[in-house]
Amino acid sequence: MSTTVMPEDRGAGMWEVTTRVIVYAAIGAALYGVAAVFSVLIPGTANVSVRPAFALVTFFGFAFGPIVGFFTGLVGNMIADQISGWGLLTSWNWSVANGLVGLLAGVFGVTLARAIPNRLVLSAVAAALAIVIGFLFVFTDIWLGTADDLSVAFTANYLPVIASNLIAGVILTPILVAAWDPIRQSMGR
Amino acid sequence: MNIAPRYLGRGSWLARRDPRVLLIGLALFVFTVIQVWDLRILAVLGVVAGVYYRSARIPFAAVRLQWTYVIFFISFVVITNTLLTGGELRGFTEDELHVYFHVPLLGTPISAESVTYAIAQFMRFLSMAAVGLPIAYAIAPGDIGPAFARLGVPYKFAYGMELTFRFVPSLSADMQTTIDAQRLRGYDWERRGRGLLGKVTRTIPLLTPVTMNAIVGAEDTIDAMDLRGFGTQRRTWLRQLRFGVTDWAVLAGFVAMLVTVTILSFTGRTDLWVPEVLIDLAS
Repeated sequence: MSTTVMPEDRGAGMWEVTTRVIVYAAIGAALYGVAAVFSVLIPGTANVSVRPAFALVTFFGFAFGPIVGFFTGLVGNMIADQISGWGLLTSWNWSVANGLVGLLAGVFGVTLARAIPNRLVLSAVAAALAIVIGFLFVFTDIWLGTADDLSVAFTANYLPVIASNLIAGVILTPILVAAWDPIRQSMGR
Repeated sequence: MNIAPRYLGRGSWLARRDPRVLLIGLALFVFTVIQVWDLRILAVLGVVAGVYYRSARIPFAAVRLQWTYVIFFISFVVITNTLLTGGELRGFTEDELHVYFHVPLLGTPISAESVTYAIAQFMRFLSMAAVGLPIAYAIAPGDIGPAFARLGVPYKFAYGMELTFRFVPSLSADMQTTIDAQRLRGYDWERRGRGLLGKVTRTIPLLTPVTMNAIVGAEDTIDAMDLRGFGTQRRTWLRQLRFGVTDWAVLAGFVAMLVTVTILSFTGRTDLWVPEVLIDLAS
């Protein structure tokens, strides 16, 4: 049996790769890939769509650690793009950005735990910070030619994606954490 | 809601290739295409992508929805991004443009250059999608783990990739069951009203039960893997992958394309090329 201590309880263990980490990462990525079909394209933006399921990335990062979060965002976004026909690597930089958000949600969940004792507030703050910082990676669109310049990358890509994902992340992550915490305690995790 | 990719390319020329060829080939192709704005080179790359896609023998009827989505998505990106917000084009000042007309209200000039730029964007995305799509349909499900492992991904994460693809069908079935159950209670995600916020909050009755069920159900998988000693030592795979001569030839072709285009790019020969016929239309 795996005896991993949850990352929120022990910061030092958050980079440990155990069976539990791999399975939760796979579950998170598959769930994100499946649930991403519920998406709405934002008019006037460059291929930016609102995916309420994006909250799964911040939730899995926050609840199970940065490695799970990174895998959930990276692989989940790739699978969602592949299922839709867009292609696994066509928007690879957006997949990396999604992964970074998951990773940062896990890191902030641990590092801010003392400053913000309320877990629901902590999860919302961690999600928000992770989204704002992690999605800075989409500015690589300028290098890839998907966005013509900094202003297009900022107004057509970065702003819409963080606005929509902030709504999803800040609302849904605490709800998922609130649902998960009693289950976690009953399971003795 | 069966959204899990099926092995539609089974037995095709591409499906007989080592799965690593499809993954490496796509990466090489993406890095090739993103350097090119010249329509003539993009046309050549488009033909290569088309032939490559055809070799997977994926029945069009089975992926019509995906292609519709791709075409719609690319068109949307191209129209909004390139034509409406892309008044300033790469390497062109506004007085160099051969303007057809200005978009009412926005004032964005629609020119021979912006139309060429739009076509180039369209061709770039379309060819990348054509090379990427076979990964979902022409790699045997059991080959995903070994393929990533042999590409140098740590075996635990390679196994995680395989596990992810294996979870997709069961989780999509769970999602459908939950949707049906919630619909019986009057739930409708597509109901209008309350805008974006409404869309987000309307996913709560779906996401929460499906996620919690999946996490609780994962305990069985974790126990099964632990009992079989997962993670205690380096894992070996039943499926042995070995590059054949054809695999090497395909990879060499992708590498040759990347090298050629990179050289052309460094010498400034992949920049936006505007066909005379489009320039003439402006006069």
